[in-house]
Amino acid sequence: MQALRTAATGMAAQDLNVQVISNNIANMNTVGFKRQSAVFEDLLYQTQEQPGVQSSDQGTVVPTGVQIGAGVKAGSVYRITGQGTLTNTGNALDLAINGPGYFQVQLPDGTDAYTRAGNFSLNAQGQIVTADGYLVQPTITIPQNSTNLTISQTGQVQVMAPGAATPTVVGQLQISTFLNDAGLDAQGNNLVVESAASGPATPANPGQPGYGVVMQGYTEASNVDPVSEITNLIIAQRAYEMNSKVVTTADQMLQTANNTKS
Amino acid sequence: MDNAIYVGLSRQVLLQQELDIAANNLANADTTGFKFEEMLAGADKATPPAAGGIASTPVTFVTSNGVARDYSQGPLTQTGSPLDVAIDGKGFFQISTASGPRYTRDGRFSLDPTGKLVTMDGDAVQGNGGDITLDPKKGPVAISETGVISQGGQQVGQLSVVTFDSLAALSKDGGNLYRNDSNLTPTPSTAQVKQGMLEGSNVQPVVQITRLIEISRAYDAISSMMSDTANLSNTAVQKLGAVNAS
Repeated sequence: MQALRTAATGMAAQDLNVQVISNNIANMNTVGFKRQSAVFEDLLYQTQEQPGVQSSDQGTVVPTGVQIGAGVKAGSVYRITGQGTLTNTGNALDLAINGPGYFQVQLPDGTDAYTRAGNFSLNAQGQIVTADGYLVQPTITIPQNSTNLTISQTGQVQVMAPGAATPTVVGQLQISTFLNDAGLDAQGNNLVVESAASGPATPANPGQPGYGVVMQGYTEASNVDPVSEITNLIIAQRAYEMNSKVVTTADQMLQTANNTKS
Repeated sequence: MDNAIYVGLSRQVLLQQELDIAANNLANADTTGFKFEEMLAGADKATPPAAGGIASTPVTFVTSNGVARDYSQGPLTQTGSPLDVAIDGKGFFQISTASGPRYTRDGRFSLDPTGKLVTMDGDAVQGNGGDITLDPKKGPVAISETGVISQGGQQVGQLSVVTFDSLAALSKDGGNLYRNDSNLTPTPSTAQVKQGMLEGSNVQPVVQITRLIEISRAYDAISSMMSDTANLSNTAVQKLGAVNAS
């Protein structure tokens, strides 16, 4: 019976849905996390009678045909790149991007990754690094003993050298945008890398048209909305149950068929 | 007399197909833009009684009158994503795929690496002038209720929303796409396009669960009718074939 296999595809799809929802809930408090959503598509149809075929010599046509679907599949799990709320931390090296864009980070193997998690620190050489110690690109070194680290909305990094009366510019932060943010490849640790689907990174100074601005002293919270995630969880669980009812019904019908000849 | 069993069988075969369809509806209760289907059962052409047979009434088998698709509007839900669009009313987005034009009500669009507006499967969404290309640097994307896409106050394209005189001409192709197998040509639709929203599946789970119960009970009822008929022949053979001992 096809119904058994169709219901199994429905249960598998809801299983995936629950996995995605649980990952969103688990990352509710992850800095810069973007929630994901599983989207579904119907599977192929078996055409038993083509709509529009002639049903008589007089040219009458079958108005509807008979097509029986084989269930559902996961179309994709896509990232919803909406802005998360900005949380004030007061830390001079906590940076949030308000608007589109990603900070560029150099991984230990020399390749580039991108992140919206701007909870940065300084390493032993005075360079700005991520929480995992990866260098933020372009590399900016903060001179020792300097004070009053200020990062403007357009990404200019200024410090006061000891004894100086005016601030010195020590670097310019850049952020990168992509044509298709949702196509970026998630690597874990709040990092994403460029993929064939995302298109190449286009770096520019923050505040340019199409780019967000950098907010010093803030971090971007995850854009997970707990209430809607819990609601989705309930919907997914009920949908799973309903598909299991189909399995029970198909099983009962097969049992009836087996018991017909007493 | 075996006709009763065959008539019952014709209904049971159809009931299994109805279960397959209900299973597909329930599996797609969460599929964007999905339209539910139902089997239309009907009576076949009556078979006249066989000449010289004992039956005097014509026999009518149960047959399928096709699968009807309910194109009623699914619920619109807000997603907030600027490239999610839903159609409120009768109409379809036009998609260009490798195997020809397709139609869909699933408006989860995104941009491909060249900035072209595509579906989740990467097929190009068609505007009134072919493919639609957007540039994120030109500013936020706004889509009007007539499908006009603008960026920074400038029109950059218009979504093509079409419909058909008879929606029965469409077949489902999987992947939330419909195929036009008839010679009907698509005509522009006046349905409204809603940005930041998606149309949910129009499957009503309660109705489908009720269908499951109906199907399963009807199947049981026919099974017992078939056993009764078999018992009848069994009894007849025993009674009529018994050798009178006296």
